Amino acid sequence: MLKVKSAVIGTGEISAEHLKFLATSKTTQLVGVCDLSRAAANYAAKTFGADKAYTDYKQMLDEAQPDVVHVLTPPQSHVPLTTDCLDAGAHVICEKPITLGHDQFTSLWSHAQLKQKRLIEDHNYRFNQPILKIEKLIADGVLGDVMEVDIRMALDLRSGGRFADRNLPNPAHKLPAGVIHDFITHLGYLTLRFFPDPDKVSAAWTNHEGDDLFKYDDLDAILIAGNKHARIRFSCRTSPDCFAVTVRGSRAEVQTDLFHPFMRLIRPRVGGEKLSPVVNQLANGLSLVGSSIGTFRNKLMQRSPYEGLHTLLYQTYKALGNDDEPPVTFNDMDRASRLIDQMLLGDNQI
Amino acid sequence: MKLLVTGASGFLGRHIVAQAVARGHDVRAQVRPVSNIEALGWEGHPNVEIVRADLRDKSVLDALVQGCDAVVSNAACKAGDFYTQFAGTVITTENLLAAMANTGVKRLVSVSTFSVYGFLKMGDGDLLDENSPIDNDPIDRDEYAQTKLVQEELAHGFAEEHGGKVTIIRPGVIYGRDNTWTARIGMELGANRCLVVGGRTILPVTYVENCANAIVLAAENDQAIGETYNIVDDNLPTHRQYLNALNQYREPRMKSLPMPWLVMRFVAALALGVNKLFLGRQAKIPSILRPAALHARCKPASYTNKRIKDSVDWTPKFGLEESLKRSFDEHDFAALPPKDQADAAATVTDTDTTGSGDVDQETRTCA
Repeated sequence: MLKVKSAVIGTGEISAEHLKFLATSKTTQLVGVCDLSRAAANYAAKTFGADKAYTDYKQMLDEAQPDVVHVLTPPQSHVPLTTDCLDAGAHVICEKPITLGHDQFTSLWSHAQLKQKRLIEDHNYRFNQPILKIEKLIADGVLGDVMEVDIRMALDLRSGGRFADRNLPNPAHKLPAGVIHDFITHLGYLTLRFFPDPDKVSAAWTNHEGDDLFKYDDLDAILIAGNKHARIRFSCRTSPDCFAVTVRGSRAEVQTDLFHPFMRLIRPRVGGEKLSPVVNQLANGLSLVGSSIGTFRNKLMQRSPYEGLHTLLYQTYKALGNDDEPPVTFNDMDRASRLIDQMLLGDNQI
Repeated sequence: MKLLVTGASGFLGRHIVAQAVARGHDVRAQVRPVSNIEALGWEGHPNVEIVRADLRDKSVLDALVQGCDAVVSNAACKAGDFYTQFAGTVITTENLLAAMANTGVKRLVSVSTFSVYGFLKMGDGDLLDENSPIDNDPIDRDEYAQTKLVQEELAHGFAEEHGGKVTIIRPGVIYGRDNTWTARIGMELGANRCLVVGGRTILPVTYVENCANAIVLAAENDQAIGETYNIVDDNLPTHRQYLNALNQYREPRMKSLPMPWLVMRFVAALALGVNKLFLGRQAKIPSILRPAALHARCKPASYTNKRIKDSVDWTPKFGLEESLKRSFDEHDFAALPPKDQADAAATVTDTDTTGSGDVDQETRTCA
């Protein structure tokens, strides 16, 4: 069987998930990995079985002639790298945010169309099991009409780690929304899955600690569409870490946390209005016990919240093989990118 | 000799600087941009030039290396996830070596670790020396061992590709002020209890001042070029002896729970078997229950420091008792005197370039 030739540019932390998929996929051949650091490229090539390590991505495109390139570098470099990959005749799977603004995205998309190549932004959490289950609950009519969406990510980035490093500040600090920009795409595309057409967007970007490293350490955004509301929250200064998703419908409400998956579904139960709260708590209590076992199993088996990325990549490669539309479409990327612009627009800021 | 010492504000780095100055060298001490240099105790010393630079930023490194006769590559990252440690240990070394190649500085003393050895391939009680095999399959080792192995490869590559004059230093467990506990003994169980794996197993320790002295001697000595040295002190204690000696200074004392090596080894082998048979070897198991890591930490072995002693005439000055005493002394033995006192001490320093390494008196005098 002729395998799809894949290559990776950038061997930072997220590359491990992409490379794990490529190293185990039966339909792909990892023809090259590239990093500015020779040591990093060599290490990734050796660990994940790439044919060759490169420090010059243009040389890799020229020599290895990949069918698909995964662009996993800091966001500021996505446009030039992706453009060159498209010019070299490769489809591109790019980490989020694919560009720093909506104008850049539409321009890049036009270029991909011109070259007749696919362009896919990583919307991995959309493919995590809890999100797929919520989508099914909506599709099955269990939730009724979606009235409220609440997406909340808390990562205590200030207390340590690469974003708190003042010795060599992470490039993410120079993004339009600072480090929050590195995560905002996830919040945007997930919100839009359940709340597709916001009429009004308002956002409060705050730097509560007021230092010069972080541009903002808190985002509180409100989206309104008619009589429906959504809220997007991001905090760099609270713990414990969470990626909480709540969807309230006209008939029922569901909650989950993508970092520590569980499902809490509150809906009309057997016993009518009076007994439903009791039955809901019993049912959700049992479900929570099961989730705790699942979380333990995930920790033991080193399964990360990136499970959705593997599903996304599998479906993307399958679509590319069949010349179908990939699972992350132009509309998905276009609306997510536009929503981020709207949140950053001065007129929309609170 | 002008020595660049990277990671100079760290536990070992501070002592390398102090030893180098005491032996009459000028030192360019690299510290990270936001390091607290006042805490280093070198401010105003005429033989120490403190330079703030992040080794991950290659754009500043040519200037850092330029003008030095030798580089002691001591910087490493022991905390954080794999990618953080890779950046802090491997990328930093790669950038440093590129700067050395750019500026024509050939002499490199690279501080490695015992962790690079493949203990799993050794028999119980075998002699570990510089010819012992390194770990070629470190997938079950911790991030530190994995990144230090890559770092050593880079140092060898510098010798081969750029004609670098390289010495690899592999210290055992380095102990000293604020660093007297080691996971090689076993495992901490709360603040004042520990599991001691193999009480009669020899602990390959080196006191930080002894180790720093060995590193500086290696940097000075042309006979060290192309060599690899294991660094351990003389008269090594067993796990139990070290813990007993440590308890002389600890309050409250560390209470120990003994665990025979063979039992621990069996439990780890069992855990690996279960992981392989039932969990596809995907389960994340505590390092003390992973054979590759357990053997690296606790395996009974014997050790030698003969090669470095014969080669550069090194003698570990401080024995265990004195070393622990100094570790708990209020005086900071890595501090250097301020300028006025340093000038007065300069005569002492100038005369102390014969290799005696007797820095104790100086640093005490100038405190």
